[in-house]
Amino acid sequence: MIKSVFQKIWNFLDERYGVWELVEKDLLKKVPPLNWTYYFGGATLFFFQVQVISGILLLIYYRPTIEEAYASVMNITNNIPFGWLVRGFHAWGANLMIITLLLHMSRVFYQGSYKNPRELNWVVGVGLLSSALVFSFTGYLLPWTQLSYWATVVGTEIPAAVPYIGPYLKAYIRGGEEITQYTLSRFFALHVVIIPAALCGLLALHLLIVREVGISEPVSEIKKRERKQT
Amino acid sequence: MEISTQKDDIGRRSFLDLFIALLLATFGGGVLYPIIRYISPVKMEPGAMEDEKFSIPLAEVPEGSAKMVRYKDAPIVIIHSQGKEVVALSATCTHLGCVVKWNEEAKELQCPCHGAVFDRFGQVKGGPAPKPLPSFEVRVDGDKIQLV
Repeated sequence: MIKSVFQKIWNFLDERYGVWELVEKDLLKKVPPLNWTYYFGGATLFFFQVQVISGILLLIYYRPTIEEAYASVMNITNNIPFGWLVRGFHAWGANLMIITLLLHMSRVFYQGSYKNPRELNWVVGVGLLSSALVFSFTGYLLPWTQLSYWATVVGTEIPAAVPYIGPYLKAYIRGGEEITQYTLSRFFALHVVIIPAALCGLLALHLLIVREVGISEPVSEIKKRERKQT
Repeated sequence: MEISTQKDDIGRRSFLDLFIALLLATFGGGVLYPIIRYISPVKMEPGAMEDEKFSIPLAEVPEGSAKMVRYKDAPIVIIHSQGKEVVALSATCTHLGCVVKWNEEAKELQCPCHGAVFDRFGQVKGGPAPKPLPSFEVRVDGDKIQLV
């Protein structure tokens, strides 16, 4: 009974929009022979999804004001059921995502996968790396602890060293001369709206290019083939 | 012999199906349970609920003002009118259960939902409220206001 209902819904969609063709083309593709170093990109994507879900859950209770930010984070950790778990997932997932991202990048670099025709995907990937680092930097301020406050003081001093435009750059990042409510508001907006939007766009492009040009053949597979030929 | 092994195979297959379904259900439950608990309505701070003898400093409610507090998970308004009289009333409107607000100029409690008005003793002054607000016995003990 249930199966036939699903079958009917599926047929309805398939007749009109060719869903089966879409699934067949994009999801049922046979994975080419790879080795395990090729899975870091997917692992990074997985951790990003964890960040999205846990981040949305944290957003329900977090309050981005300097009076309440720390108290709301403490409330999430200590009072809200499983709040410690959600916050833990977000904090650990952030670290693990950067680690797998760097491993993925190293793999692409050392195996020369960035070469023609994949040069532009390397460029998009560097954009993704930048987004992930801005994600980390802005997210670190949000609990408004001593540690995050001073990390932001130091971190925003660094662009101030740029010749000529440095001081302006610092003031634009901080939203003023000091770290204030304006800084927290800016970082919050960057962390939950601006960077997620940018990263999702770049991510779509990154995956689209992979599907378009295909995954580079592992060196081990090339060697295996050469051995067979000789 | 052959027939029995075939039966075994079918048993094994359906067992595996069931096993995988159970595994997925356990995993899904393990993911969904914390999330549902996390987004479920928040209970009030345990401190205010467990404290049977609820009290707040008199200084927090100066003369002519009122303060909203939580007592046994319900909103209570403590009104300190001129003349040192302290009254504690349930802040839940007797009409449809909105939380009433103290209007300092008019010296009355007003319901934001349908405009019910109560005086500082909880008696109905106007609007659709059918009954006065229930009151609580209060004792001013030195510099503390205590709900009895």
